[in-house]
Amino acid sequence: MRLEPLPNPSPLRSVGVTLLALGLAFALVGGVFWAYGLSPLEAYRTMLEGTLLDPRGWQEVLRRTIPLLLIGAGLSLAFRTQFYNIGAEGQLLLGAVLAAGVALFLPLPPALSLPAMALAAALGGALWCGLAAWLKNRFYVNEILTTLMLNYVAQSLVIYLINGPWRGKDVRGYIYSDRFAEYQQLPVLLGSNVHWPTLALGIALALLLQLLLFRSTLGFRLRVVGENPGAARYLGISQSRAFLVVALITGGAAGLAGFGEIAGIHHRLIEPTQLSSGYGFTAIIVAWLARGNPALVLLTAPLMGLILAGGDVLKVSFNLPFRIVDVFSGVMLFALIGSELFLRYRLRHR
Amino acid sequence: MKIRLLALLVALGLGLGLAQQSNLKACFIYVGPIGDVGWTYAHDEGRRAAEKAIPGLTTQYVESVKPADTLATVDRLVAGGCNVIFTTSFDFMDQTLEAAKKYPNVIFAHASGFKRAPNMLTYMADFYQIYYLNGLMAGALTKSGKVGYVAAFPIPELKRHISAFALGVRAVNPRATVNVKWINAWYSPVKAREATEALIAEGNDIVAFTEDTATVIQTAARRRVPSFSHYNSMYKYAPDYVVSGQLVDWSVIYIDILKKVQNGTYTPKNLENVDYWWLARERAVMLGAQVGMPINPKFEPALKQATMVVNGKRMSVYDRVMELYRDIQSPNPKWDPFTGPIRDRNGVLRVPAGRRMTVKELNEMQWVAPGVVGPVPDEPK
Repeated sequence: MRLEPLPNPSPLRSVGVTLLALGLAFALVGGVFWAYGLSPLEAYRTMLEGTLLDPRGWQEVLRRTIPLLLIGAGLSLAFRTQFYNIGAEGQLLLGAVLAAGVALFLPLPPALSLPAMALAAALGGALWCGLAAWLKNRFYVNEILTTLMLNYVAQSLVIYLINGPWRGKDVRGYIYSDRFAEYQQLPVLLGSNVHWPTLALGIALALLLQLLLFRSTLGFRLRVVGENPGAARYLGISQSRAFLVVALITGGAAGLAGFGEIAGIHHRLIEPTQLSSGYGFTAIIVAWLARGNPALVLLTAPLMGLILAGGDVLKVSFNLPFRIVDVFSGVMLFALIGSELFLRYRLRHR
Repeated sequence: MKIRLLALLVALGLGLGLAQQSNLKACFIYVGPIGDVGWTYAHDEGRRAAEKAIPGLTTQYVESVKPADTLATVDRLVAGGCNVIFTTSFDFMDQTLEAAKKYPNVIFAHASGFKRAPNMLTYMADFYQIYYLNGLMAGALTKSGKVGYVAAFPIPELKRHISAFALGVRAVNPRATVNVKWINAWYSPVKAREATEALIAEGNDIVAFTEDTATVIQTAARRRVPSFSHYNSMYKYAPDYVVSGQLVDWSVIYIDILKKVQNGTYTPKNLENVDYWWLARERAVMLGAQVGMPINPKFEPALKQATMVVNGKRMSVYDRVMELYRDIQSPNPKWDPFTGPIRDRNGVLRVPAGRRMTVKELNEMQWVAPGVVGPVPDEPK
């Protein structure tokens, strides 16, 4: 047996390999359920019943889809350009910080408050990621490392703020900011936590980025930079500028996700781990699944949202350990990255 | 024929009604993982004991629930048939109240909070008396006069515990200090280890803590520094170094609440003023390195040798600890650590002579006792 390179894998092969990888992941996690003494079929049935066949379940799936959609769409663009932004979590947090700053300290007319918060959040996320792009362009610092490390800086910044200058007045020793005013909270679908303006924003962003990537000159440049940096240089396409543009877009999208979380759900700046549930990291899987097509995130984000919400159902229904969701995402990413090999190579007997 | 059918229906209805009485389903929402060896583990022990003790009771739990997810979790639990829901963290307070309004026929019980409703009671097993006893022992055992304390959040509960502990330390050793490091986390082994190592490096030769892991004990034992068990029996992690500690038994509270729900004493309409504030007297808390071992025998000689003056009489610290422990376990305890006059560490008189702090005052306490060293947020000047 040997591997034979495939110069141009067909889209069909891409879909097939992705589905196989997903199937393998579900089978492996099924094995985990089985080892836990739970029938895999029953576990998956419960997951689906508790999410898709239950209106409350839908709300939970959608609530988790929103940040994944925003971040995932941006990331799929970045990965396409070979700009490996692992710091969406930090960019989300910085978006939340700036949005909270505007909400708490900038006296604005109520009608302008929410748009200003959103704008500030996008700006915060964009700058946080732009910093990594600047370091990469100017000093050739690997963006995987800088974006990853900037996550921790952002976390510490949030903790500093809610523990110090932004600490709320009536928090009884806990650490969080004051609550935002009513007009600084995003409207939600009746009786749920689904902040629909951000959901609409995410859908629009995914479609827009798809258009940008495949129907514009800028998109063409980005794709060339991503697929063949040598050719890009030959054509006179500036790699640095491509990285900077992509960084600002993907960071801005993550910042918006941060705005959605605090203006739609928490209504105050809170501890980083409570604020985001690791959406910035989960979105990496969402983007990877979409294989560089921002519009496909419209499918992959709800899928991941389904798994996150389904994990909660399992926790409640079978008293499964709370880490089960992490196992899910981990196995899935593992299978997906492993499947890359079969995307670009074909297995030949003899 | 019709009458017979009607009778059958009525009988069925009655039967169902009766079945509902005995079909008690209690559900628990936990803030941490049940394997934390601390707060959540203790609640889960209580849940299991209650399930064993009450016939007809089934239970269910959900671990590591984020406060923002409380309402969604309650939705699922109610849909699954829970009639009593325990939310076991202060962070869940506002969401529990919201859930209580949404489900007026479900009984909610919130641990450590202060907001109640006709169908929502509050409960707490508090350690402050036990912390004072541990303070006495720490004061007797420290040679450097510096006692370390790893603390989670600067909330009233911890200020009360640290202050009671410091009052105990100073009762034996008036010049000793209790050096506090806040880690701003209930469950963070990394932060707890860093704080413990820093405290030991700064010369503290005995440590106590309030957070939800056994890390402080393990870290201190590696440096041969004695420590106090918190929440659960942690003696097994360092048998040579755990002096004593404060242990909880939530099952007495859970069994009491659930029995009263089962026999109809508690309904979703009469809980507005039900607040459990249970101490050693109710056996909700105990002194000990582990259950059944109030003081580690390895430290008994040293504690018997150390002496202190009580009301002009000299007695061994060991005898004082035992005397007070017997008192707070009796039906009518005569002693309480927060009996005036008590000044805070800035010299302001907080409890006038001859008065004891009320439960409300204890729950809202923001000042700290003399001897506590280190920054304390929200401290009144």
